[in-house]
Amino acid sequence: MVRQQLKTSLRVIFLLAALITVLFPLVWIALASFKTAPQLNDPSLLFFEPSLVNWKFVLEAGILQAAGRSAFVATVTVAISAVVGSVAAYVISTYKTGGSATKFGILAAQVLPPAVLVFPFLTLSYVLGVNDTLIPLIFAHLSFVLPVVTWFLIGFFDSVPRSLEEQARVDGFTRFKAFLLVVMPQVYPGLGAAIIFGFTLSWNDMFYGLILTPPNSTILPVAIAGFNTFRGVELGSMSAAILVAVVPVVIASFFIQKRLVQGISGGAVKY
Amino acid sequence: MKVNPTATRNTSRRFTLWMLLPLLAVAGVAVGLPLVYTLYLSLTDFSLIQQGVAGFVGFDNYWQSFTNQALWNAIGTTGTYVFIAVSFETAIGLMIALALQKQRWARDFTRSMLLAPMFITPIAVGLTFRFLLNDQLGAIPYLLDQVGLSYDFLGSGNALFTLAMIDVWQWTPFMVLLLLAGLESVPKQPLEAARVDGAGSFYIFRRITLPLLTPILSVAILLRSLDALKVFEYVYATTRGGPGTETETIQYFTYQTGIQFFRLGEASAMAFILLAIVLPLIVVLFRRLESKA
Amino acid sequence: MKKNLMKVLAVAGSTMLIASGCATGTGVQEESSGTGEVAQETAATVRILMEAVPDTDIVQSLISEFNVEYPNITVEIETLGFDQMRDRLIASFQSSASTYDLIVADNPWMDDFAPAGFLEALDERIANTPDFDHDDFFAPLREIADVDGVTYGVPFYNYALGYLYNQKSLEQAGVTVPTTLEELVETSKALTTNGQTGLAMQPQRGYKIFEEWANFLFAAGGSIYNEDGTGALDSPEAEAALEAYIDLHNNAAPENSLNWAFDEAFRSVSTGQSAAMVSYNWNLPALNSPDSGDFAGSFKLAPMPGGKQVLGSWSWAIPSNSAAPDAAWAFVSWLTSKQIDVERMIAGGAAVRQSSLQNKTLIAEGFGADYYEAIAAILSNAAPLSEGASGEEMIQAVGTELSKAVSGTKSVKDALADANAAINEIQG
Repeated sequence: MVRQQLKTSLRVIFLLAALITVLFPLVWIALASFKTAPQLNDPSLLFFEPSLVNWKFVLEAGILQAAGRSAFVATVTVAISAVVGSVAAYVISTYKTGGSATKFGILAAQVLPPAVLVFPFLTLSYVLGVNDTLIPLIFAHLSFVLPVVTWFLIGFFDSVPRSLEEQARVDGFTRFKAFLLVVMPQVYPGLGAAIIFGFTLSWNDMFYGLILTPPNSTILPVAIAGFNTFRGVELGSMSAAILVAVVPVVIASFFIQKRLVQGISGGAVKY
Repeated sequence: MKVNPTATRNTSRRFTLWMLLPLLAVAGVAVGLPLVYTLYLSLTDFSLIQQGVAGFVGFDNYWQSFTNQALWNAIGTTGTYVFIAVSFETAIGLMIALALQKQRWARDFTRSMLLAPMFITPIAVGLTFRFLLNDQLGAIPYLLDQVGLSYDFLGSGNALFTLAMIDVWQWTPFMVLLLLAGLESVPKQPLEAARVDGAGSFYIFRRITLPLLTPILSVAILLRSLDALKVFEYVYATTRGGPGTETETIQYFTYQTGIQFFRLGEASAMAFILLAIVLPLIVVLFRRLESKA
Repeated sequence: MKKNLMKVLAVAGSTMLIASGCATGTGVQEESSGTGEVAQETAATVRILMEAVPDTDIVQSLISEFNVEYPNITVEIETLGFDQMRDRLIASFQSSASTYDLIVADNPWMDDFAPAGFLEALDERIANTPDFDHDDFFAPLREIADVDGVTYGVPFYNYALGYLYNQKSLEQAGVTVPTTLEELVETSKALTTNGQTGLAMQPQRGYKIFEEWANFLFAAGGSIYNEDGTGALDSPEAEAALEAYIDLHNNAAPENSLNWAFDEAFRSVSTGQSAAMVSYNWNLPALNSPDSGDFAGSFKLAPMPGGKQVLGSWSWAIPSNSAAPDAAWAFVSWLTSKQIDVERMIAGGAAVRQSSLQNKTLIAEGFGADYYEAIAAILSNAAPLSEGASGEEMIQAVGTELSKAVSGTKSVKDALADANAAINEIQG
C-alpha cells in the first residue's frame, strides 16, 4: 500500500516537473505580451502593471486575418490528408498494397529541404495560373502532412488484429464497410493524434508560406516572424502573436482528444 | 457459400487499388512533381539570378557537392543533433505518456497543456529561447545566477546541445501525443491477464506493453527523426550556423547555397545526395525495428 | 501498376520541364523609356516591396504628400523583415509576370541583380530629371548603385556604422572617445567595471561579425581588397585587428555573448549594462528616445576610431519587368529630391544627400547639430564589405572564418589565410 502511494507521488511529481518545464517559457511569453519595451529587458520582472500596447499593435497589424488564413489552409490540408491517408494506410497495412516503394516513396518530400522544394511549387503555380490563391500553399503543405498522417495511421492499423476484420467479413460486411465500421473506429486515437499533428505541421510552416502566398495575404507564422525586424526583435508584439497562435490550438486539441482519443470504448470485439 | 477464388482475388485487387488511388493522385502532384523537377534542377547550373532556361551540366553538381567537405560536416552535425534530440524525446516522452495514462484527475487539462509547445511556429520558439537564454536579458541565466552558476548556452562546444534541448522542449509533446494514443490502443486483455498472474509492473511493461507498442514507437521515432533532420529555424534564430560551423545543419547549408548564394542547381543536388543517404537508412532501420516486434 | 506509375510521372515531369522553360526568367527585358520628368496626370499603381525598418514607415507617411503632386498614382507598400523580404524578392524575379514595380536593393545584391538583367538602367532618367543633382548624394552611396559604369539605383538610406557610446559612462571612467584602435581597446577595458562591460560586441557568425570586425580592420590601417581586387586579409594589419577584436571579446565584452547580434548588443547598451557598441549611425535617436529606458538622452555618436567605417546602403531600383516604371520613377525622384529628403530626415530618416546634412531647418528641428556632423564625417569615409558579384557568399565565408578565430577553434593566422583564400576563390 505504501509502495503504491510512493509510486503515485513519484508519478505526480514527475508530471508536475514536466508541466513546469513546458509551461515556464509559455508563462514568460504570456507575461512578455503585456510588458512594454524597457520592461522586457529586465529578466527578473514578475509583477508589473500590464500594458495592452502589444496586443493593440498586433491586432491592428492584422494578426487575426493571418490566423484565419492559416486555419483555413491547415484545415483543408488535414481534411484531405485524413481522408486520403486513412483509406490508403488501411490497405498498405492490411494488404501491403503498393509495397515498399509507395510506403517509403511518399516520405521522399519529407527528407528534401523546403529551401529546394519551394521553387518547383512556385514554378508550377505560375504555370497553372493559381499563384494568386492559397492553392499552391495547400499542395506544398500536403507534401509533408499527407505522408505523416498516412504513416501515423499505418502504424495504428498495424496494431489492429486481423481477426476483427475477418469476423466482420464472416458477419456479412463488405470490405469497405468492414473497414469503415469495424476497423476504422479502432484507430480513432491514432486518427486524433494524426489530425492534431498534421494541423500543427501546417499551422507552423513558415517557409512555404513566405514564398507561395499572394502579396498581402500573409499567414500566421510569417506574421510572427515579421516581428524580427531590423531594429531588433519586437518581443512584446511577438509574444502576443505567439499566444494568438497557441491558445486556440490548445483548446481545439483538448476537444479533439476528448472526442476521438477517449472514444474507443464499444465496438471492439472481445477475443 | 462457395466463392470463385479468382473473382475474390480480383475484387480484392480492385478494392485495394481504389483505396490507394487517392493517395497516389494527391502524392503524385504534391510529392512526385516537385521531386522530378528538383531532380531536373540538380542536373543543371540553374542560378536564381539568371534569365532563361538553365544549362544542362549532368552530374557536375553531384560531384561538386560530394567532394565538398562543408556538406559532410553539415550532415555530421545534423546527424549528431538528431540522435541527441530524438533519444531524449523518446525516453522522456515515453515516461510522460506512461505517467499520463495512469493519471486520474486533471488528466485532459494536463494533456492539452503539455502539447502546447508543439503549436508555436519554430522560428518563434528559436527567438524566444534566444532571449530566455541571453546572459543579460534572459530569465534562465538569471535564475542560474541566483545559485551562482554561469553557462555559455550558445558558446563554442555547447551550442549544438542547447539547440537539441530546444528541440526536446518543443517536440517531446509530439512523442507524448503519439505514444499516449498508442498506449490507449493497446489491447488491455494481455495486460490484465499478466497482472492477474502476479507479474510486476516493470515486467509487464518490458515484456507486454513495449512489444505491443513497437509499431507505433517505430513510426514515432521515424517521423520525429525525419523532421529533426530538417532543423533550420532554431539555427537561424540563434546562431546562424556558428560558432564557426558548429551548428551548421544541412537545411541551413542548403538554404544558404540555394537561396542566399543563388546556386539552386547545386542545392538541389545536395538535397538528392541527402535523400540517397537517408532513404535507404530509413528502410533498413525500419525493417529492423519491425522484425523485432 | 508500378510501371504505369512511372509512365505517368515521366509524362508529367517532361511537361513540367517544357512549361518551366517558358515560366522561369523575368521575361523580355523592357527598354527603359528614359523619362525623367513624369507627367503629373500619370495614372498607375506602384507596388513596392520594402524592408520593415523605421525609414520605411517614414516613406509610408510621405505618400499622402506625394499624392498632392501626383493624384493618380497609387502607391502600395508591402513590408517584410530583411531575410523574408530578400527571399520573396528573389522568388519574384523567377516569375514571368511582374510582382513589384519598385524595389529596394541591398548593396551586395546590386552586383548580382544588374548583370542578371533584373534592373532597369537609370542614367537617362537621372539626366532628364531637372534639379536632381545626382552628385549631391554621398560618393560611397552612389558608387554602390553603379555597376560597371551604369547607374541602377538611387540611394534610399545608408547604414554606415559608428561608435555609439554612453557619455556618462565615459565621463565616470575618465576616458575620452577613442580615435585609434589601441585607444579603442584601452578605453573599452577601462570602461569595464563591475556593473558594466566596455563594449557590447556582435560576434555572431556570418554577416554580423564581419560587419563589426571590418571597422577594426580599417582602424588598423588595413583593407578588405587590394588595388587589383584580390583579397587583402593576409596582412599584418588584419592580424592586429583580429587580435584586438579577440582581446576585447575576452576582456571587455559581456560574458557568454559569442552568438550576439544587433538585438542583444542594443538592449545591453540601452539598459546600461554595456557602455558602448559599434552600430548603425541612425540608431542614436532610438537609444535616446524617452521611452527606451533609464539611460535615454546620455548616448552619443562618434566616427569609428581611425576615421574609416563600414557602410551598407539600400538603393531604390526599378525591376526590368515593372508594370509601371514611369510612375515608379515619379515616386523615387520625388522622394529623393532635395526638399523631400530634408523632410524625410527631420522625421528620422537616414542620410543620403550631403546638402541635407547642412540644411538649417534640419539642424534646428532634428536630432542635434553634432549628430549630423558625425554622420557627415562617417559618410565621407566609408566602404562596403563586398565589391563585385557573389557578395553574400564572400561575406558568409569570411564571417565563418572570423567566428572560428573568435571562438578559439582556429588560429588568427589560419583563419585570415582561409578567409583571404575564400575571397579570391569566390570573387576572383
